[in-house]
Amino acid sequence: MKVALFVTCLIDLMRPRVGFAALELLTAAGGEVEVPETQTCCGQPAWNSGDRASAIRLAKKLIAEFEGFDYVVVPSGSCADHIKHEYPAILGDEPEWQARAVALGRRVYELTDFLVHVVRLEAVPGRFAGRVTYHDSCTGLRSLGIKAQPRALLKRAGVEVLEMNGAEECCGFGGTFSVKFGEISAAIAERKCANACATGAAAIVGGDLGCLLNIEGKLRRMGDETTQVLHIAEVLTAKS
Amino acid sequence: MKSRAHRFKENAAASLANPVLQANLRTAKGKFVDKRAIAIKELDDFEATREAAKDIRNRVLEHLDLWLEKFEEVACARGAKVLWAKDGEEVCRLVVEIGKQHGVKKAVKSKSMLSEEAGLNQALEAAGIRPVETDLGEYILQINDNEPPSHIIAPVVHKSLDEVADLFAKTHKTPRKTDIPALTREAREVLREHFLSAEMGISGGNFLIAETGSVALVTNEGNGRMVTTLPRVHVVITGIEKVIPTLEDLATLMRLLPRSATGQSISNYVSLLTGVKAAGESDGPEHLYFILVDSGRAGLVGSEFQDMLRCIRCGACMNHCPVYQTIGGQAYGWGYPGPMGSVLTPLYTGLENALDLPHAATLCNQCGVVCPVKIPLPDLLRRLREKQLENHLRPWFERMALKAWAWVAERPSLYALATRFGVRYLAWLAGGQKSIPLLGIAPGWTQGRDFPAPEGKTFRELYRARSR
Ligand code: SF4
Repeated sequence: MKVALFVTCLIDLMRPRVGFAALELLTAAGGEVEVPETQTCCGQPAWNSGDRASAIRLAKKLIAEFEGFDYVVVPSGSCADHIKHEYPAILGDEPEWQARAVALGRRVYELTDFLVHVVRLEAVPGRFAGRVTYHDSCTGLRSLGIKAQPRALLKRAGVEVLEMNGAEECCGFGGTFSVKFGEISAAIAERKCANACATGAAAIVGGDLGCLLNIEGKLRRMGDETTQVLHIAEVLTAKS
Repeated sequence: MKSRAHRFKENAAASLANPVLQANLRTAKGKFVDKRAIAIKELDDFEATREAAKDIRNRVLEHLDLWLEKFEEVACARGAKVLWAKDGEEVCRLVVEIGKQHGVKKAVKSKSMLSEEAGLNQALEAAGIRPVETDLGEYILQINDNEPPSHIIAPVVHKSLDEVADLFAKTHKTPRKTDIPALTREAREVLREHFLSAEMGISGGNFLIAETGSVALVTNEGNGRMVTTLPRVHVVITGIEKVIPTLEDLATLMRLLPRSATGQSISNYVSLLTGVKAAGESDGPEHLYFILVDSGRAGLVGSEFQDMLRCIRCGACMNHCPVYQTIGGQAYGWGYPGPMGSVLTPLYTGLENALDLPHAATLCNQCGVVCPVKIPLPDLLRRLREKQLENHLRPWFERMALKAWAWVAERPSLYALATRFGVRYLAWLAGGQKSIPLLGIAPGWTQGRDFPAPEGKTFRELYRARSR
């Protein structure tokens, strides 16, 4: 089983440790894991900003880099969905490329989905001391059905999840939205943080770094220096 | 209605700074969202019903011209007159003409989005006809100096009881009261006079039924009945896309509309109005006019935005929208707020007049999953963003930044180098702290939150070093 990890641009830049945690999980699952070196970004920011031409070029680049693998695993629901479901639409005018996109799409998985449904990872390598609350990121939840998977894995790692009110509500990140409409975005994040903190959990955990940076940034601005904000891969490989 | 959509950012900032509005939005959110969730559970085939509703609306849109002709034929046979209006101006002209023809001095109105789009009230006033809004919410807005609505079915959802109490005391010159039944009674007393004295009633229409030539009105207050049956003349103003083939289709759509809108399994009133008062009948208008309005709709048929015409104006998309929940409806600047408004306003008033709206969404797709007719709202918003870019409507800086970033992302070695410097710069800015309070390159982000510091090296670098 040849597995490729698509690290995602945000993890590459902001939180390399999440990338390594994902690697560790995939290795624990018995995969032969590769990280194609020329990977950059899936092109979602271009597509969502209306720049079709760039989105097409970046899609083709990624397809060429990853189509040789049995599986492509992505530690982000939103990037996984972009490759899986948007690429065929993006490449709609080029049937040959579209077919390649569809073929690749079938083998693209969000990390927790892959661990639970494909490799059925039972023995989670990490131990995390402390209770957590889980934020369901929008695209993973609504387009890929990521909901039970992270919770199942957390349970296997012995971590108790305290459900917050509105766990499925958007945190206000929204990619470029967070910069274009900073005030609105931060106000939405404030609701998310209040709901999360009300659970008394030691950490807010999620599967998409964009949301996590948004939540962490808001928490710190609100003066909360203690609540941790972690990617699920970090929790599942924690050594505490 | 004059659009203020081009001032979205200022409007939104004002909303965020308004504590009364913020409190009201919090209460409203709970009400709408929770009630809908309960109401749709009553349907064991909710998803299948959504699919059926979507099909009904698509079927109509495929042959919109034929269904409209059919409607016209049947409605005319029942004594109604069907008039066509290209835009809001024509709507105003037609209504004023009808009013003059029948010697109308006062017109009572129940909810009509199209008359709001057209700015009908001002036109009526200019022609010496007094328009009186009779939906409680619309009435409150009208007596508050024609304040714009904030929601398509709950236009005063942004207002508090205290505000309404003050307004009633001032306008009706009565002692101030905060008892809701007493306030409604007062409104009823004032409005009753108008119902009895008006010569013309103006309403919208939720659906036009082609096989019977009827209009269906879905309301909760009962004023719709008064408006459409008491005055001698009844004018229905609605969009051309509102037609549906049969009563059975109406039944399907009605399973979804009230549930999605207010969480009711059925609204308090569902009126099916057909034709004029016939000989021997005791109620109904002597003259019935349908003004069917294009105002940009026909242009969407067959376009990449056709899906939007399925909309049945339930408001679920806005009730569930994190942005709407945060800033309310008036910020969107025109009659249609929330995700549906962010699609409709630029399409109906011009892309260039609502540049912010298609971007004012997180694309979380909560709207897409609650929409009873399955309109892919995030997708339509994204296409509007694409249209803006194609038409050079985005700021120069934004276009260049986007292009430059994509250009670099297509070149892995350059990308590796650029990101290597980028994260070091950010780490330097953080200066050993966990986060950056003010970020010059993305000031929007740090307006209301910190920017978490990067680790300092890219995954790419570390992975390389490790595999060596
Ligand atoms: S777009 Fe869908 S959810 Fe929104 S108002 Fe129209 S029908 Fe309702």
